[in-house]
Amino acid sequence: MRPFAFQKMNNAAEALKDKKAEAQFIAGGTNLVDLMKKHIAQPEALLDVSSALPKDIAVSGRGLLIGVMARNTDLTLNKDILARYPLVARAVLAGASPQIRNMASVGGNLLQRTRCPYFYDVSTPCNKRKPNSGCGALHGAERMSAIVGYNAQCVTVHPSDLCVALAALDAEVKIMTREKKEKSISFRDFHKLPEATPWKDNTLPENALITHVYIPENPFHQHFAYLKLRDRTSYAFALVSVAAALHLENGKITAARLASGGVAHKPWRWYEAEEFLKGKAPSAEVFAGAAERVVKGIKPLAGNAFKVPMLKGAVETALENCITQESYKQ
Amino acid sequence: MKIIDTCGAPPPADGRVEAREKVTGSGKYAAEYPVEEVCYGVFAVSTLAAGKLKSVKVEKAKEAEGVIEILTHLNKPVVSGFSDETKIRESRLGLAVFHTDRIFFKGQPIALVVARTLEEATYAASLVEGEYEAGPFELDFDKARRKATLASTGREKGSPEAWSQAAATVEAEYTIAAEIHNPMEMHATIAHWVAADRLKLYDKNQGVNNVQRTVGRVFEIPAENIEVFSEFVGGGFGSGLRVWSNTLAAAMAAKMVKRPVKLMLTRPQMFMLTGYRPASWQKVKLGADREGRFLGGWHQAMNGTSTYEDFNEWITGVTRLIYHIPNLKTEGALVPLNLSTPTWMRGPGDCTGDFAIESAIDELSYVLNMDPVALRLKNTAIDKHPNNGLPWSTNYMNECIETGARMIGWEKRPSKPLQLLEGDWATGYGMAVGAWNAGRGYASAGIVMQKDGSVSVRTAMTDIGTGTGTGMRNIAHEVTGIPKNRITIELGHSSLPAAPSQGGSTGLSSVSGAVVAVSNDLKTRLAEYAAGINPAFQGLKADEVQLTDKGIALKTNPGAVVSYHQIWEKNDLKSLELEASSGPGEERQKFAFCSTSAHFAKLRVNRRTGRVKVEKYVCVADGGKIINAQAAANQMSGAVTGGIGMALMEEMLIDARVGGLIANDLAGYHFAVNADTPVIEVAFINKPDVNINPSGAKGLGEVGIIGVAAAITNAIYNATGKRLRDLPVTPDKIIA
Repeated sequence: MRPFAFQKMNNAAEALKDKKAEAQFIAGGTNLVDLMKKHIAQPEALLDVSSALPKDIAVSGRGLLIGVMARNTDLTLNKDILARYPLVARAVLAGASPQIRNMASVGGNLLQRTRCPYFYDVSTPCNKRKPNSGCGALHGAERMSAIVGYNAQCVTVHPSDLCVALAALDAEVKIMTREKKEKSISFRDFHKLPEATPWKDNTLPENALITHVYIPENPFHQHFAYLKLRDRTSYAFALVSVAAALHLENGKITAARLASGGVAHKPWRWYEAEEFLKGKAPSAEVFAGAAERVVKGIKPLAGNAFKVPMLKGAVETALENCITQESYKQ
Repeated sequence: MKIIDTCGAPPPADGRVEAREKVTGSGKYAAEYPVEEVCYGVFAVSTLAAGKLKSVKVEKAKEAEGVIEILTHLNKPVVSGFSDETKIRESRLGLAVFHTDRIFFKGQPIALVVARTLEEATYAASLVEGEYEAGPFELDFDKARRKATLASTGREKGSPEAWSQAAATVEAEYTIAAEIHNPMEMHATIAHWVAADRLKLYDKNQGVNNVQRTVGRVFEIPAENIEVFSEFVGGGFGSGLRVWSNTLAAAMAAKMVKRPVKLMLTRPQMFMLTGYRPASWQKVKLGADREGRFLGGWHQAMNGTSTYEDFNEWITGVTRLIYHIPNLKTEGALVPLNLSTPTWMRGPGDCTGDFAIESAIDELSYVLNMDPVALRLKNTAIDKHPNNGLPWSTNYMNECIETGARMIGWEKRPSKPLQLLEGDWATGYGMAVGAWNAGRGYASAGIVMQKDGSVSVRTAMTDIGTGTGTGMRNIAHEVTGIPKNRITIELGHSSLPAAPSQGGSTGLSSVSGAVVAVSNDLKTRLAEYAAGINPAFQGLKADEVQLTDKGIALKTNPGAVVSYHQIWEKNDLKSLELEASSGPGEERQKFAFCSTSAHFAKLRVNRRTGRVKVEKYVCVADGGKIINAQAAANQMSGAVTGGIGMALMEEMLIDARVGGLIANDLAGYHFAVNADTPVIEVAFINKPDVNINPSGAKGLGEVGIIGVAAAITNAIYNATGKRLRDLPVTPDKIIA
């Protein structure tokens, strides 16, 4: 680990004012410390924002406002979340370990870096870690890589489970800029595809801080599922994951949300399949139809073609679990 | 391991002797010993798979804060045992760290940065760069094995013609990915030269005497000049049976900087610097008559090795151990790759070979339309060792199978796949067996008694988590009668009575004989002393007296007691110290010895998502007499968990384009966790083998994992009709 300075911040404004380009904010540190140990992140200074940013979870207007320093575990215990936004809790519990969830902040979860093994190994090429050094995973170990939205620059996926649920629920990311301006970024625009700048994971401006995550009110607290398929049952990143949520009125689906992790550089929404589900009565055939629309036209890499049928099965299973609420039976 | 009573209370009468030390953290693992003036060494490693190391750029690293010295092949003080190629070969260490400019694999140490703190050393090591002349390399096992030539691995029995007309024949290829031991504790060494030719090593390994001998040979100093502490070992699985570069480099660096040096491998470094289970390919042909009697077998196997050393896993050995196969041919070959040398990993060889044989038998059972349990019972070699013909001392394989079948509810197993369906889930049952030649080494144990009647039982053997110390305490208690809470245990230090390394399931089998012997010696000696006080003790043998917490008593008349106090006073004793040794003898010419296991799995497979959920798992084993039921069951369930990992997820990932391993950390390499296993049901035959050693205990460490992988894949076939012959069976292979 490169030697660094450490400073504890009292509030967001002070943190933003003191931030230099070579410094990095640290909250829970569950990802950043790893990156520093592996010489991937080598900041000159760490500005600890864990006491500087809000951590409360509160009903606000017609939605829920989550302070960015809420720990991941807090999301699994909060009674408003469990009553009104249970998909969020379910997704969080599918990730990491209790120890990490206790430490990791909501903001850190959004900003965590990819877990692509090439990104973590400084002896291999990686455009995300070292711009223009090439993509190690492409034509390499592609098993965990993306099947949509990738390019030759970068084929990695976003590792978060929480973010898949937040994408499904149309969350908003509230930020504060250095000029102390407060802004809101819709979740679908927060994470980005690799494009020509794979080293950038998201659209958070330089030297800005996330203050809150807002989830607008939604009717998805009855029929929801988070299905995560992985190489082992705990403490493993998704091969594919599916957040599914349905709202039913008079036996018909009036609203549907479908999002996936493990498939793209960002949490991925399946809008066409959502549209398809609207107005239909839930059935195995309808769910299969939605799953077909999810996988239609997907061009996987040579090393992860299995993700396409797996995703199809995962979407069908997740939608069925929304009805049976057998979300733990994967 | 030294059991120090930190709370003032006696150690618990049951449970593990080292429980408190482990739970409170007071037990010291290699890197945890406080040593004054210690500094820290961190390896910089090769980023290239093969070639020549032209130079090592250390300038930037040298300027980093806290750096004391940087050791490379260019500036190292030559270690006499590595001074030429012949000596390097004779050292049997394989990699002569810092004594060659040849690069054999990515991850090979090219420098050791020594600094004041771990953080400084780690950072400076990241600034070291090698300058290489790249050479050709091979990392593709599947490609390279096609160039290897098979050679016989044992006497051929009968002839291929004799079974060419077998009623049922199966033939298939099986492959298993390389696996990493991944013990919890990383390999670490603190090396401290207390004089020019006297070295203290705090080292993570599975045998302190082996470390003494090996390091002594390399530095050309007497083994007894090297004091080795390995009192607590956080898991070994075979990775501590050799002396690796961390031990040697720490000793070299400590000599160079004239200060104690601590060197702990990082998790990614461990993947290439402490061995692994090599990748393997096997082909099995098996034939039987209509009644299911095996007529012939042909087992071919290859395993990966390094380019600088041969490591043979002897995969086909198990085929000559479990069943009578009248016509049998076994062949093997090694496949050199630009990786480090593999080593023994739990159930080495047998575990690999068993997967292929036990899968083939399962395949045969469907061809014959015969129950796999019945098919095995028809062929198990329970009368004699099928290879050397010696009668078994004990072989309870059939009992293991029958008990396991009862416990899992085998009668509910459908005889065809795809019978137990519920939505996308298919349920299936599978079984397989395992066996291991039960060995025994020559070991010594000591006992020290104090005037208050407390004793310390001691040996140099390590306890890698198997419960050796607890077993020793139980044996000493049983033989002498001394209450368990008056017995403490000392282990894992080179000045204690010599013992072999703890490996190959021989630990307790070896040391238990010595503990029985020294316990009896103690009784005899105390009887002699007692006779000087009470003539009733005159000429008594060990089994005629009993020790209590107060003194020595007659078995026939427990009221006749001579107290330790009396004996100590009369003979002016300070403490009573005895040592005894014990080892295998002529019973090895009369009998063959084995531990056996039967594995049964009931699992569900989701045919849409590829998920495998093991619902019930039963393991029944014969390990002779069970000395400590909890520790023994703990070993078995740990081994089964390892086997489930082998079957479903463990895989060393190699990318030939980057020249070596990727994902070499705990996020990228998956081994099974609690969520992947049900509560594993373990049962033991628990009958002593009276010939193997005085305790009647055979080993258990290996046999718990041998058979697991095939039981799992056989159950997947029973559930889904998919025969999976390539491990690990990850979800993508299920839905393919």
